[in-house]
Amino acid sequence: MTAPLRLRGLVSLLFVLLVWEGISRLGIVPARYFPGLTEIFAGAVEMIRNGELPAAELMTLGRAIAGLVLATLIGIALAVLSDASPFFERGFRTITGLVQPIPPAAIVPLAIFGFGLGLKLYIFIIVMVTIWGPYLNGVTALRAVPVEQILNGRMMRMTPAQIMWHIKLPAAMPQIFAGIRYAAAVSLIAVVVSEMIAGRDGIGYLLVRKSFSIRIPETYALMFVTMINGVLLAALVNLGRRVLTGWHVKQMGYPA
Amino acid sequence: MTRARALTLAAPVALPLMLLALWALAAAHIGSPLFPGPGKVVLAAVQNFGTILDQMGATLRRVVIGFAIAAATMVPLGILLGRIRLLGWLFEPVIDMLATLPPPAIVPLVMLFAGTGDAAKVTMIAFAAAIPILMNTFEASKVRNAMNSLVARALHLGPWETMLRIDLPAAMPMILTGVRMAVAAALLVSVTSEILLATDGIGVFLQRQQENFQIAGGMAGILAIALTGLAVNAAILRIEKGLLFWHYRNDGQNG
Repeated sequence: MTAPLRLRGLVSLLFVLLVWEGISRLGIVPARYFPGLTEIFAGAVEMIRNGELPAAELMTLGRAIAGLVLATLIGIALAVLSDASPFFERGFRTITGLVQPIPPAAIVPLAIFGFGLGLKLYIFIIVMVTIWGPYLNGVTALRAVPVEQILNGRMMRMTPAQIMWHIKLPAAMPQIFAGIRYAAAVSLIAVVVSEMIAGRDGIGYLLVRKSFSIRIPETYALMFVTMINGVLLAALVNLGRRVLTGWHVKQMGYPA
Repeated sequence: MTRARALTLAAPVALPLMLLALWALAAAHIGSPLFPGPGKVVLAAVQNFGTILDQMGATLRRVVIGFAIAAATMVPLGILLGRIRLLGWLFEPVIDMLATLPPPAIVPLVMLFAGTGDAAKVTMIAFAAAIPILMNTFEASKVRNAMNSLVARALHLGPWETMLRIDLPAAMPMILTGVRMAVAAALLVSVTSEILLATDGIGVFLQRQQENFQIAGGMAGILAIALTGLAVNAAILRIEKGLLFWHYRNDGQNG
């Protein structure tokens, strides 16, 4: 990110905060429903002090990251399988079309029967809703690897498995990461929704509890936390991308 | 070779059938009412057909209203932000921030202002659909093709005519991509909003089935959602291709 861009983010953030404070001060919306920034901040500090927020945040982020990592690995594995077998690729298209539009909220009630309320439940739901980004991008990217590169591999007497691991997968990585970035946002949504429905712990549960007990500043504070989580997870994915596909950025001059 | 070809052609049906068979075997082996086989799910779907259809209707009605609100407000707003440099500069980070906010997280807020009725659910759907439409419209109207502007000048078009006849069609492919994403988001959020703010709809049906330990019925509901999603996505893609026939024709390989 360049300096002017960062400055612009700051200006824009200040602008939002100003407008927010203005609305709250002028009483356009009842102040009870639209607290000022200081109150929201105080609510956040209070939740940090009594340990509610850090505990919930650790739960939510941990679940989102664990699910995302597993979903990515499964998605890439399925993409490799699809690349190797046209039968699987075509057959899996039907399944993708059917499963992809199912919202995470719809599977939570039934998944609770199968997995209880622990980490398994969240991992299952995240995998169900996030493998599509890495998978679909992986399939497209693996197919788009230039023939010359593959032929080069053959010339060096690489086995098909070696070609996959040393040539095709690295070439597909930048585009797969674009899918992961999308999956990261979806995984956070899935975790928060599941926590809201399953109702035991995590940011989603805290959000429901605070709003039902009409702790409005806290509710707003938690919404800001979910927003920040989205930024955090996106930054994490970017870090992973830079580590794994730094060569691409260097070659092309821009990230995938 | 030909046998392998035939097998590949049959794959879209064959692989799902194989998985179904696996599922049926596993269900027969476990033999628990908590893990019904495909037969029981189909039976439950037939038994609850009327209810599922009714509830799905209630859900889709809200999806349509919420989506319409989002499209009607966000396309003009996106164009405005894209065209007036200062506004775009100021609001782009705000849009990015809002995009990271999971739509379900606004449930508590929506409840404060709109209660738990239809208005609340439609608001959630509209919010979820608004973000992709706004982002794509903004991006699409920000960049202007230099050649297109020259054509507009050569034809002596006024600013409004240029916008309507040249810039808007040029931005259309990207806007419609946003629309397709918005429809998917609206469907997702509609079910979520019903489960969290129960009154009626397919999401409520799912929860009732679960509360009564009707796993097969719940799976039938999920199946209905999956099929609806598939149908809606196919329809949207069809409409998009119809509207943008020129774009796909020019692109050649995308068609």
